[in-house]
Amino acid sequence: MKENQVPNMVFIWMLNLNLLMILYITGIMAASLSGYVHENTARDFLQTVSHMNLEPWKIPVAAVLLYGSLLFFLCIQTENSLLFYGKTGVEIIISLILGALLNFSYTGMILLILADVIRNMAKVKWKFLVIGIVCGVHLLADYNLFSDSYRIISLDTYLRYYRSDVRAVMLGLKNIVTSLNILIFIIYTVLLMREQMSEKERILSLNERLNRANEELKLANSQMEEYARESVKNAETRERNRLAREIHDTLGHTLTGIITGLDACITLMDIVPDAVKEQLQVIADVARKGMTDVRRSVKALRPDALEKMELEKALEQMMEEIKRASNIEIEYCCSAELNHFNKDEEEIIYRIVQESITNAIRHGKADRILIAISMEYNILYIWIKDNGIGCAKIEKGFGLHHMEERLGMLHGSLNCFSDNGFVLEASIPIRWGEAV
Amino acid sequence: MAWMEKAEKIDGSGNDCMTRVTVMAGIRNRIFLAAGVFCLLAALVIMGDGWRKLFSGRERVITVGVFSDSYWEVQNGYSYRILEDAIALFEEQNEGVRVEYVSGILKEDYPEWLAEQMVLGKAPDVFLIFGENFNDLAEIGALKDLGSFMEDDGSLVKDEFYSSALACGEYGGRQYALPYECAPKLMFVNKTILDAEGIGVPDESWTWEDFYKICKAVTRDTDGNGTLDQFGVVGYTWLEAFDSNGVELFDPMGTECYLTDERVREAIVFMEKLEGLYEGYHVTGRDFDLGRVAFQPMLFSQYRAYKPYPLSIKKYSGFEWECIPMPSGSSGAHIARLDTLLIAMNENTVQEKYAWEFMKLLSAEEQIQSEIFTYSEGVSVLRKVTESDKTLQLLIDSSGEGSGFRLKALSDAVEYAVAAPRFRNYEEVVAEVDKAVRNIMEGSSNISMEQIIWNREINNFLKERGER
Repeated sequence: MKENQVPNMVFIWMLNLNLLMILYITGIMAASLSGYVHENTARDFLQTVSHMNLEPWKIPVAAVLLYGSLLFFLCIQTENSLLFYGKTGVEIIISLILGALLNFSYTGMILLILADVIRNMAKVKWKFLVIGIVCGVHLLADYNLFSDSYRIISLDTYLRYYRSDVRAVMLGLKNIVTSLNILIFIIYTVLLMREQMSEKERILSLNERLNRANEELKLANSQMEEYARESVKNAETRERNRLAREIHDTLGHTLTGIITGLDACITLMDIVPDAVKEQLQVIADVARKGMTDVRRSVKALRPDALEKMELEKALEQMMEEIKRASNIEIEYCCSAELNHFNKDEEEIIYRIVQESITNAIRHGKADRILIAISMEYNILYIWIKDNGIGCAKIEKGFGLHHMEERLGMLHGSLNCFSDNGFVLEASIPIRWGEAV
Repeated sequence: MAWMEKAEKIDGSGNDCMTRVTVMAGIRNRIFLAAGVFCLLAALVIMGDGWRKLFSGRERVITVGVFSDSYWEVQNGYSYRILEDAIALFEEQNEGVRVEYVSGILKEDYPEWLAEQMVLGKAPDVFLIFGENFNDLAEIGALKDLGSFMEDDGSLVKDEFYSSALACGEYGGRQYALPYECAPKLMFVNKTILDAEGIGVPDESWTWEDFYKICKAVTRDTDGNGTLDQFGVVGYTWLEAFDSNGVELFDPMGTECYLTDERVREAIVFMEKLEGLYEGYHVTGRDFDLGRVAFQPMLFSQYRAYKPYPLSIKKYSGFEWECIPMPSGSSGAHIARLDTLLIAMNENTVQEKYAWEFMKLLSAEEQIQSEIFTYSEGVSVLRKVTESDKTLQLLIDSSGEGSGFRLKALSDAVEYAVAAPRFRNYEEVVAEVDKAVRNIMEGSSNISMEQIIWNREINNFLKERGER
């Protein structure tokens, strides 16, 4: 609202100027009629006109009423195009009646309608047609055009009452105001255009900023994805190191003890057979202790999530974390009851899902992964598909080999192929109630 | 979540605000629309004169515009007599309706008074108009078209009027006024001269030839001093000659002049012949008054006005005189101009019905029309009134002469008279034609050639008039 203040003020000037002009012309007309009567030359007047005049007092009164009516119609604000056409039509009719009343010696009020149309240009369909019509009316509303077909008394006839010098001043004044009205109209239009232009510029610059922000966001997103991949890799490395350490600390230690003990046994075998028996007993103890250590390690190596919670929850949490860390969409549906499996079964299920997701992200560059788990006659099926690049020939890396081996230990099978991405199918026969 | 609720609240209140603004705008628009329509209607009512109808519908007064003295410029002392009788009769017939008029307006001021009333929008409901003002007033739409009234009103029989008189109220094919009284142009004859020359008063079927013969016979130097002192005719202009020879000089709309007509040539030749008799002496009306001219065209009203008065007796004491129809031209008939006083209705009257009744009373009521012969000098516009025995008796009584008043001749003169052409600025155009005819007559070259030249001139003049 505030930015339209200057053009609105100019519009109000135009309104006032038009009122002034209408009062001026009707005043001249009424005064001239009274003058003719006063000087007993009414007959001369009637002899020069082509139709009856309106009573003197009626001319200004009717003109002001018509102008008021025009202003009220101009004040109506509407967003509806049809209503706007109707309103503009009525305005044109009113201004034509007013024009006829003023003998078409002044038609500046049509510019008011034009200004109003331009002001509401954004809201109206076919705006150029409406502008064209109003312009046409303004051009055609001319005394010389109407004087033949319609019976109009020209302003000159009224002015003839006055002395020629007075007449010249009056006409001059009229022409000045008419030009002034056009000038103000032009200023109004220019101001309005400028305002609308600056509005457009503002919108353009905002749009540009939005685009830039969008670009930055995209960049950040890809960096984020990269980071997610890195962190998966880091986790793997850490895991391997831990594994190596564990193997070194437990198996290495136990095996070293066993090897040393067995070497001693070989040496003692011929000399002190009883001591060998004793020594073998010690080695068996070491091996047993090593077994305990391995068990403890394996227990320690179980995924953290599985340690802490049930498989179903663990899977969900893993997927949730990956989704959160990267931009990957994971669809997961499971129709089987996943709890109460054996620990090794749980682990392999978890590992297969985890490894597949990792592969899909790392090798397949996928951003959409479908995971389905179902169970039929004691066999659990895992089906994982991504929309990544897949691969023409599958070269099984460490991950897949490892998966296959572990599945083999459980008498399961693994099958994978490319189909608009990478598809992995695994089946695991479930042993109910048997401990590892 | 508190912040979400809060946000919703803000949003909700924002919506509320928006709807409130929309509703407010709707109400404002409706107020503007109502005010705009009201102003527009008010302006239209004021401009369309509906205003007066709204406020004065119940009052039953009609106003009449009349002048105080006689249309025929005779001070006869009966100025409002016929009007008063008509008002009395009207108020008797239409109870509760009053007729008002402004008295004391002289004939010479009347057209201006009427124009002023019209400019101020205060013109009477019914008013008299002069033949010469009729064209202007009909053209600007100040007069009501009487066509529908005449059709709807069975009591008005068009044929009772002289067609020529009725035609005086026609403009552009529409009837805008009814005739009130009229006077045809007649030829005054100085019987004393004709008797002295041994010539009888010509009968009603006389022609230009007879006319010329008599004029030639009487034009001579009676006292033998070498200059002419007795003449044939005065005041016989091209207008009379054209009318008598059946010339129609203009088309009905006044856009074209037919000065090249053969009948125009005949009339001009005849005029030249007549003027040739006087050897350059300029005959005036004074010569007629002094009894030295045999013929002079005059309106019937002039004849009647001067006949019974001591003043006129003194004026024309030297000779006896009579009036007969105009002589007919070689291609025409005994046709002359008709001067008519008309009654018209204000276009903006709110009392159409009573105004029409009153007009009809003045124009078509036998009783009122017969008073014209008593209290005025014109001729009634109703044939049966003019031709009645009562009128004959009246005319014979007032003229003071018992013999030979030919009433049928008067009636025929009215019937066959013509109205001045009905178009605007006719008077100015006539002045142009007058100039043209004078030039043609004075010019030495071929008449037909001059006719063509001047016809072109007048047509240009007509065109300029039309464009103004």
